[in-house]
Amino acid sequence: MTAPLLAARGLEYAYPGGVTALRGLDLNIERGWKLAVLGPNGSGKTTLLLHLNGACKPTRGEIRLDGQPARYDHRALNQWRRRVGLVLQEPDDQLFAATVEQDVSFGPLNLGLSEAEAAERVHEALTALRVTHLADRPTHALSFGQKKRVAIAGVLAMRPEILVLDEPTAGLDPHGVTHLLGVLQQLREAGTTLVFSTHDVDLAYGWADQVAVFHEGAVLCQGETAAVLGNRDVLHRARLRPPLLLEVTEMLGMGRDRLQPTPRSREAVLELLRERLGRPSSAAFMEPAPAHSRRGPLE
Amino acid sequence: MRAIDHHAWTNRWRRWHPAEKLLPASGLLVLTLILPPLTTAPLVLAGAVLATVRGAGVPLPTLLSVLAAPTAFLVAGIPFLAVSVDFTQGFDLRLSNDGWWLALTTMLRALAAMSCLAFLILTTPLTDWITSLRRVGVPSGVVELILLTYRLIFVFVERALTGHQAQTARLGHSRVDRSVRSLGWLAGNLFQRALAQARRLEIGLLARGYTGELRVLAPPHVLSRTRLAAGLGLVGLVGAASGLLARGFS
Ligand SMILES: Nc1ncnc2c1ncn2[C@@H]1O[C@H](COP(=O)(O)OP(=O)(O)OP(=O)(O)O)[C@@H](O)[C@H]1O
Ligand SMILES: [Mg+2]
Repeated sequence: MTAPLLAARGLEYAYPGGVTALRGLDLNIERGWKLAVLGPNGSGKTTLLLHLNGACKPTRGEIRLDGQPARYDHRALNQWRRRVGLVLQEPDDQLFAATVEQDVSFGPLNLGLSEAEAAERVHEALTALRVTHLADRPTHALSFGQKKRVAIAGVLAMRPEILVLDEPTAGLDPHGVTHLLGVLQQLREAGTTLVFSTHDVDLAYGWADQVAVFHEGAVLCQGETAAVLGNRDVLHRARLRPPLLLEVTEMLGMGRDRLQPTPRSREAVLELLRERLGRPSSAAFMEPAPAHSRRGPLE
Repeated sequence: MRAIDHHAWTNRWRRWHPAEKLLPASGLLVLTLILPPLTTAPLVLAGAVLATVRGAGVPLPTLLSVLAAPTAFLVAGIPFLAVSVDFTQGFDLRLSNDGWWLALTTMLRALAAMSCLAFLILTTPLTDWITSLRRVGVPSGVVELILLTYRLIFVFVERALTGHQAQTARLGHSRVDRSVRSLGWLAGNLFQRALAQARRLEIGLLARGYTGELRVLAPPHVLSRTRLAAGLGLVGLVGAASGLLARGFS
């Protein structure tokens, strides 16, 4: 068996001042995964993600890249951060330049790209997140959701091998969420490994193929989404509710059938419900087509 | 402050090279200072206001509000220029002719000069000026620091405003003593958050490969000779017109 792309072993971390945020945490991230780090507020999600690109150094335990213990010297950190892109929870912590375009160009220029190449990356990332119309706007005069997209574009423009996002959907409207998930899906299809944190069980259920459930600074359980989120015991201990879609399908007695997998998307469950209730499916009930079904520049 | 910033970023001349705006503005400023004010200043004032409102499309009320505060100070100072106090024979206070003249010309001059500055700050974002500092030899470390400060000012102004609103919502400003205490807390809290913010900003920058230099794509400013020439032309025109007028008066 090959070593996981990125792994945490016995990770412990205490903030200066004494709060212990991580207590012996183990986590595996394999190539091509969409991993959701799921946990309630204050369970240590952000702290873990900061370890995944070397922004925090563990008090004990280690991070492994391709099976090798990570090193924290200047050069190793640079290499590491080229491979692992991190989008912070709060966009104001990330946007620093005067205009959107300039801010997004920061990462590509740091990769050593020429100005022309960087400009191309900027355009590509802004198009992917549908914020080209903001290119010339000052970063301080944007709405929260706009800032969030620009912050994501800034990391996307570096084309990292692993993209780590801290609560990427928080603060986005439903359309924005659908669109962002579509963008991430495209990245995934282009070979990017994705890790994101959330406390939204339904989001993790519908979108991730792997889930790591957090509880008080440690991973309580990691595995396939359906298996982990179907485990009442784990959810109860982590103070999380079972996903709504799972509850609905279970209540209807669907998904028991091993031949037919439990539907995980809203549309699929609604469709099943309609069948059950004997109503014809109506287009008015349907959500707009998810963005990943359209062709984007990242394909 | 926010209104100025907004128009600086959105006016029609925003994409012009800063030098194209600096040239006519400083030219007019020099004219105001060296030529007789009575004929020059109104022309300069008209030129600057027209350029700002007609040219760059900044609304007149915004321009007036920018000019209002310094004008108020000017007006308040006028009596002191117009009145002369004589202590040689006891106490003698009078409105002197010279004093009036001085007050009027000073006022006109100052107003014209301010309109040139208002034109500059309303048509060009502060960051354009800051980046230009690099071209005149200010070390890039210093320029980056100023740019970051500019960016963070907005974060903190926003935090301060929302913090104040939140305190008000919880009756933190319902009485003067409470208000003083609330403001103290707000200031202390902002300071701590500033430190935490700096730390997180560093994490965010490091994550994007920051190695000590904040390099970004330069704004696409191309110096247009036509616009430079037009700017010079305007200055020449105002200068000539003022000279003619002055001769006509005398
Ligand atoms: N800068 C800090 N200094 C000291 N303690 C901190 C700091 N940041 C977080 N903590 C503490 O570490 C623990 C884990 O916090 P963390 O931010 O990782 O949680 P989280 O799972 O991301 O929460 P949320 O869902 O609210 O973002 C919490 O108990 C928190 O109080
Ligand atoms: Mg967090």
